[in-house]
Amino acid sequence: MNILVFVKTNPDLQMIRIKDRQPVMEAIPYKVGDLEKNAVEAAIQLRDAAGGGTITAVCLAEANRRAKETLKEVLAMGADEAVLVTEPALEVADQAAVALVLAKAAEKTGYDLLLFGEGSTDNYTGQVGPRVAEILGVPQIGYARKITGTEGGVQVERSMDEHIEVLEAPFPVAVTVVSEINEPRIPSLMNIMKAGKKPLAEYSLADLGLDATSVVAQKAILSNLAEEQDRKHIMFDGDPAAQAEAFVNALLKEGVLGR
Amino acid sequence: MEKVDCIIVGGGLAGLSAAYGLASEGLEVIVIERGDYSGAKNVTGGRLYVSPIRDLYPELWKAAPFERPVTREFVTLMGDGAHTTIELASERFATPAYQSYTVLRARFDQWFADQVMEKGGMVITKNRVDDLLLEGGKVIGIRAGGDDIGADVTIIAEGVLGLLSSKAGLREEPRPQDHALGYKEIIELPPGVIQDRWHLNEGEGAAHLFMGGVTRGLMGGGFLYTNKDSISLGIVVGMEAMRQAPDKVDSYTLLDEFKELPQIKPLVEGGTIVEYSAHAIAEGGIAKVPKLYGDGYLLAGDTAGLSLNALVTVRGMDFAIASGYYAARAVIDAKERDDFTAASLAQYEQSLRSSFVLKDLETARYIPHTIENPRLFTHYPQAVSNLMEQVFTIGPGPSKKLSSTVMGGVRKDFLNLQTLKELYAMRKI
Repeated sequence: MNILVFVKTNPDLQMIRIKDRQPVMEAIPYKVGDLEKNAVEAAIQLRDAAGGGTITAVCLAEANRRAKETLKEVLAMGADEAVLVTEPALEVADQAAVALVLAKAAEKTGYDLLLFGEGSTDNYTGQVGPRVAEILGVPQIGYARKITGTEGGVQVERSMDEHIEVLEAPFPVAVTVVSEINEPRIPSLMNIMKAGKKPLAEYSLADLGLDATSVVAQKAILSNLAEEQDRKHIMFDGDPAAQAEAFVNALLKEGVLGR
Repeated sequence: MEKVDCIIVGGGLAGLSAAYGLASEGLEVIVIERGDYSGAKNVTGGRLYVSPIRDLYPELWKAAPFERPVTREFVTLMGDGAHTTIELASERFATPAYQSYTVLRARFDQWFADQVMEKGGMVITKNRVDDLLLEGGKVIGIRAGGDDIGADVTIIAEGVLGLLSSKAGLREEPRPQDHALGYKEIIELPPGVIQDRWHLNEGEGAAHLFMGGVTRGLMGGGFLYTNKDSISLGIVVGMEAMRQAPDKVDSYTLLDEFKELPQIKPLVEGGTIVEYSAHAIAEGGIAKVPKLYGDGYLLAGDTAGLSLNALVTVRGMDFAIASGYYAARAVIDAKERDDFTAASLAQYEQSLRSSFVLKDLETARYIPHTIENPRLFTHYPQAVSNLMEQVFTIGPGPSKKLSSTVMGGVRKDFLNLQTLKELYAMRKI
């Protein structure tokens, strides 16, 4: 069983400050996306349950993102190999271009199962998994909350709004996972040390039969502003209990509490 | 048990400096850092004196992410109703190579960790070392999260509290008497405003210390350093002084009061607080430096008590980097001899003794005792400011001769037995 799990380096959202309605990205650490970690954990559990197989983590490096460290973290969790695609032209890539590059990397590596997070921690467009599946002509299953290996395929429980859907699919198949699927493991020190020795292949666009023209973004983001709200300037008087009650009532009225 | 040449506990400046030296020589080295990244848990005032360490890793400092070179020094003596500021604008300080720079540790330490990894060293973050592994009094490695890893030498650069090294009996438990609390806010200001307020050319920086009136007479003072687009404003106050203070005061109250002072308010006007941090500072001086080596281990940086508060110069980061450098040299030489016993590693302490690190600490031996005198933070700043005020005063009646004014002030505030005794004691610093 050949599992490809796709990971993206996401900025650490807790470290981002908003200044003039724009995120301050300078000196922000990058880390593996939360849902991608779920995907990696799912891959490890599938491999270990099957008693064999190879997990290859695939990462596309955009500008300034510490992609190698990200991949090492995934290798430390338990992936067997890693593929890193780097290319300066990728700085301006959109979801369509990213999906194209990842699909080509998948073709080059070979696969039975493609695993994605449902969306990335930063932009959460949820597009890349389905797009890769489409480019490769592989069936795809979204919102996976449980994946079980079957003879030559997987059984997947999908988390729908009001019910759970159970599907079976033969390989090859693409699955995107949601956070409830598992609790990603934290790599141990020893595994972190060993991760440095696992194979990590680096591809350029040319290695994948692509060039800079194939990753030109088809869309441009014109504006992306943080929400802005005026402060209410409400003062609460009275004894502490009365203040607390008035405060809670105000929060309820604003819909901050009790939604 | 997996084994490497050297394990370094702590990815701060001492640990990273040691790792850089070792990795550069091709040794297998692992730095284990508890924070999310190097610098995540570190706090400086802060200024790094580069002059003492420039020749140790000459290639490193050219590309380092410093904030601003310090070209102007300010010291303000704060009295009630009057304060005196000394401003030193030195052409020498404003000419490269600069002697010191302001730094922000989150940025600086991450960069340093990158340099270590580029040399092939491994920096593992988000992992805490739980124990040192000892075998017959010899440190043979570490335990972290249930994993045991062995090493020829373990360099313990775990920071000022020295939890592991104290637990293993390699140094004494830290005492509040030998430590100060440093805490600060980072306040964002546009670079142009910073340059205007501290009379700086573009890109240049200032260091500003405040004595008296900041800590309610407790041992300590205020500091302010200019970064690229922010200032670091904070207070250092002796832990024991805080504990013994008759009127208990919270540390953050002191900082709030500091910022509200008429001398400070215009300096921080319009700024946005973006960060708050606090840290313990070792101020015990040379007398509190523990034994720096033993079988299979070395102590470096704050863990080794290598910091120095000499009133107008405050140092620690240069000592940390230098101690890491000499620790790396000692391990490299020990490996050549294939001898990691205390006798072999003693070279480390000898190097520190013949370098500026222990020499400067030795020179400053009597400072920690001297600055325990609270009058340094009450009487003297007030007396200087009073005297200056009189010198510049023209009243309604006839004025006295300048020399009489000065002598009057000197006689009143300085020529008394207690002051003379104190000034005499200060000859040692």
